[in-house]
Amino acid sequence: MGDYGRVRYLELEAFVTAFDAQRLIGDLTVTLDIDVVVGAYPDRDGPPGTPESVLGTLAAHRVEAAAVASIRSALFDVTSGNDEVLALAAAQPSVVPVGTVDLRDPIGAVPELERLADAGVKAVRLFPDEQGVEAGFPSVRHVARHAARLGLLVLTGGDVRRFWQPFTGLEARVVFLDTHFYHLGDFLVAAQDEPGFHTTTRLLNSPDALETVASILGADRLLYGSRTPLYEPVVPLLRLATGGLKPDEVAAVAGGNARRLLA
Amino acid sequence: MIIDVHAHWGPWFFTMDVAEVNLATMDRYGIDVAIVSATEAVIYDAPAGNRALAAVLSDRLYGYVTINPRRLAEAERDLREYLPTGRFVGVKIHTDYTKSPPSSAHLRDALALVAEHGVPALVHTWGPSVLELAEACRDTPGLRAIAGHMGADGHRYAIEAANGCDRLYLEPCYSHAPAGRIAEVAAAVDPRRLLFGTDATLIDPSSAFGAIAAADLDEDVADLVAWRNAAELFRLPVTN
Repeated sequence: MGDYGRVRYLELEAFVTAFDAQRLIGDLTVTLDIDVVVGAYPDRDGPPGTPESVLGTLAAHRVEAAAVASIRSALFDVTSGNDEVLALAAAQPSVVPVGTVDLRDPIGAVPELERLADAGVKAVRLFPDEQGVEAGFPSVRHVARHAARLGLLVLTGGDVRRFWQPFTGLEARVVFLDTHFYHLGDFLVAAQDEPGFHTTTRLLNSPDALETVASILGADRLLYGSRTPLYEPVVPLLRLATGGLKPDEVAAVAGGNARRLLA
Repeated sequence: MIIDVHAHWGPWFFTMDVAEVNLATMDRYGIDVAIVSATEAVIYDAPAGNRALAAVLSDRLYGYVTINPRRLAEAERDLREYLPTGRFVGVKIHTDYTKSPPSSAHLRDALALVAEHGVPALVHTWGPSVLELAEACRDTPGLRAIAGHMGADGHRYAIEAANGCDRLYLEPCYSHAPAGRIAEVAAAVDPRRLLFGTDATLIDPSSAFGAIAAADLDEDVADLVAWRNAAELFRLPVTN
């Protein structure tokens, strides 16, 4: 173990007050956040998921751009939700549109994937937990195959110990959005066999998870994804800023890797 | 000054190598003092873990005597041995690893034992179990209990729990950081009963530190949360 970030902290010590996250984050800027949604969850109280509110939160945290998916698509109506995100991206240069399909409708999902790809969308997001879909359901493998065929980057929620499996053997490019550090070992062994597997850092918040991924797989497999507006974006930002990754690795995690995957 | 009232010392069984990083982890976030329990004591063998921990405590690492509610004779021996050293300042009880929920008879017996010794008890809570802890606290004269994780995803239960027992304190650490969780609790609970805890070295302090930073607490409240409440509760010889 190194002394991740300790030198940097000591340099700042004279200025730091209790819970002053900004002092620790310093000038770290996120050039692309891979995990952002707009819309409202009916089963949760605020915060509001309006585009204005979400983009305001991101700007306040020095997040310059975001890959944005629609909760409307995830929970209610796929097509109109995707159209809202496409319209938002057309109006806001900081928004990279992410399509969504409903895993409860694998038959309808494929033409929507094709429509999204034709519209220039580079990524599709899956919401298995919200849709009550398990990794072993045929729909997941079906959507995985067609996303891979269309060259779409897949952003998926769900327990990585289960959701790795439907994406194997397809040369799929996948970003797991819910990888918890408890399950880091499972992600690592799966990702060693699947070069297209990536993870966000949101829940990799043990003292050495990011550094472990970087040492075993490389920092190019890590992406900053905040899940704004449902999670506090400052937490993974703070972890990244105070950790043991090298400056070029931090920049890659903070958006460089996401831009490469969405190119 | 920051005091972390929920920290650990020792290795974990996950894919991680953090047994030696307590002080470096604290230094990254300006945490001056941590009250730690031995992971061995929490997960496996309380007396063996307490014994190992006793050898490493310092003026920055104070200790919890971890007790297993199923083995109160052992617990009594450890409390008598370690509390008088002044290095151990509280008791840790993990309700899951010992399968001793706050509603269980043996957990209540354990809390009564802790109350007799006059130190605070940090008790793992998750979801609505924090309400059971509040009930046990009300029923145990003199007990001062800390709801570890303040119910985690059950922070609204923690609000109800803290407002139902004035000897119950809330400690927020959680590997998830749902938006607004800390602000909601801080707006609804007496700030003198809010503490700072990280779960380090299992969880990096960024999680609790960042979640509290996001709540944008008033300076006075932040001071209480950061250290004043903990210093008073544990009677620690610290000043800012």
